[in-house]
Amino acid sequence: MSDAALELNAAWAIARKELLTALRYPLQLVTEVAQPFYQFLLPSLLLGATFAVGGRSIGLESLTGSDNLAGYLFLGVIVGGMVGTAFWDMAFSFKREMDVGTLEQTWLSPTRPETFVLGRAISGGLVAGAASAILVGIGLVFFGASMGPGLLLALPALLLAMASMVGIGYLVASVVLVLREPNFFVDATNFVFAMISGVAFPVLVLPIFIRPIAYLLPTTYAVDLLRVYALGTRPLLDPALEWLALAVLSAALIVVGRFVFRRTEHRLRVRGTLGQH
Amino acid sequence: MVRGLLADLSAFAAAGLKELRILRRYPTLFLGFLFWPIVLPAAYVLQARGFAGSSPAAMDAFAQRAGTSDIVGFLFLGFTAYMWLSMILWGPGTALRTEQVRGSLEALFLTPASRLVILFGPAFSQIVWALYMFGLVGLALVFLFGVPIGLAEAARALVVIAASVPALYGLGALFASIVLRFGEVSALVQTVRGVFTVFCGMTYPIIILPEWGRAVALSLPPTYLIGGLRSVLLAEADLVSLIPELAITLAIGLFLCGAAIVAFRRTERYAHRGGSLAQY
Repeated sequence: MSDAALELNAAWAIARKELLTALRYPLQLVTEVAQPFYQFLLPSLLLGATFAVGGRSIGLESLTGSDNLAGYLFLGVIVGGMVGTAFWDMAFSFKREMDVGTLEQTWLSPTRPETFVLGRAISGGLVAGAASAILVGIGLVFFGASMGPGLLLALPALLLAMASMVGIGYLVASVVLVLREPNFFVDATNFVFAMISGVAFPVLVLPIFIRPIAYLLPTTYAVDLLRVYALGTRPLLDPALEWLALAVLSAALIVVGRFVFRRTEHRLRVRGTLGQH
Repeated sequence: MVRGLLADLSAFAAAGLKELRILRRYPTLFLGFLFWPIVLPAAYVLQARGFAGSSPAAMDAFAQRAGTSDIVGFLFLGFTAYMWLSMILWGPGTALRTEQVRGSLEALFLTPASRLVILFGPAFSQIVWALYMFGLVGLALVFLFGVPIGLAEAARALVVIAASVPALYGLGALFASIVLRFGEVSALVQTVRGVFTVFCGMTYPIIILPEWGRAVALSLPPTYLIGGLRSVLLAEADLVSLIPELAITLAIGLFLCGAAIVAFRRTERYAHRGGSLAQY
């Protein structure tokens, strides 16, 4: 078996282990759906309803070209879930291993440390994908979040965004390993990353000095393409350019993220601070 | 009797001081106290701008329903109440469970201090943080967003906050007893916070809820806190006009504190009989 095949094999085994653990805590799985629903979607929908005129979101339409408020928010949650996977499932899981004292044991196995990130990306992606599918279903059935068949055209954008999240997962995991008390860092950056990507509102309402950051995030293009194809919103850039930016940024993030993670891991081994927390 | 009362007050202060000392040992918590009160509502302000777009009709609709056109003030005040509630649920609301997990709950129960100290002590230190957070949000509203808040408005807001203290900390103490009995923290906090987030009008005026939703909202104390703060700070309402709401909040507070004491005694009896005090 080639190195890549072995690594994928190990990543799948790690993903299976994570999924098995997740299934042991069904209440936690319920919160994957419930939490974004009551903590983000319902308050946002109710805020949107406060601005509605004759039951239509004319303000949102003036900015995006679509008055489909529910569709706009429920599609945003899909990418929000991916971002959460990178920050909490891929990166913060190292902190959990530190806490229970199993980090050194897992890193002593012949599996490369970066494969653990990949494995958790697969399990986290599957859980987040299932949660997003349920949420979108709720949006379609109960909140009138109609979406066109064009949504299928945007599915490759989601795959590219998920790949970019592996890169982000590597970068954030590096910080988690160095900080050792990363709860606030992960929580805050996860929130800011999702918000700047336009998960909850059009990127155009961001302050002018923050907007360039949005254009550097692959998730901005993923969520925008999703809305363009499914809801017919006006794209931020030409869609061809958005696809290109998404592909290039995703590839770059994986390369840079993996490099930074390897360097950090090497430094921690040299200093002997891996298990400290 | 007086000596006992003084001893209990001293224990109460010591319990609050202990919680403050623990907080001081975790400096990253302070970053959170600085970051979230500003960034979380700011994100919803941006969302509101997205929903308003360039449509004056959408803005008018908001102003008509919310009773103010000040979106920033409206959302910041709603989220300050949300964060206060979060602090209570994660702090005093889980304090007994935290003692249980640390293994110090039995030692606490063996002290001669009143059980009320154990139940309400952790809440004491949280009042300091709540005031800090309200102060921080107030300063941000005045200096960053230009919301006109004078000393008179601030004083009226303090009265609204003070009237909500028994209800919110009673809720925290009741929650602490329930958490101790059932041993589950995260899911319970998320569920209770979820109910408040959806019904209490943190991001919207409760007038847009259906009738049954409004009835639920009006039975929850944070609704009165949020409504009261918005009235005195954004609509220049005087305290006299808020007397009915303040009276309801105080009455709910008394009820919740009483319910917390009853629930705590039951939990304690249950733990004594089953020997489950240290189990987790």
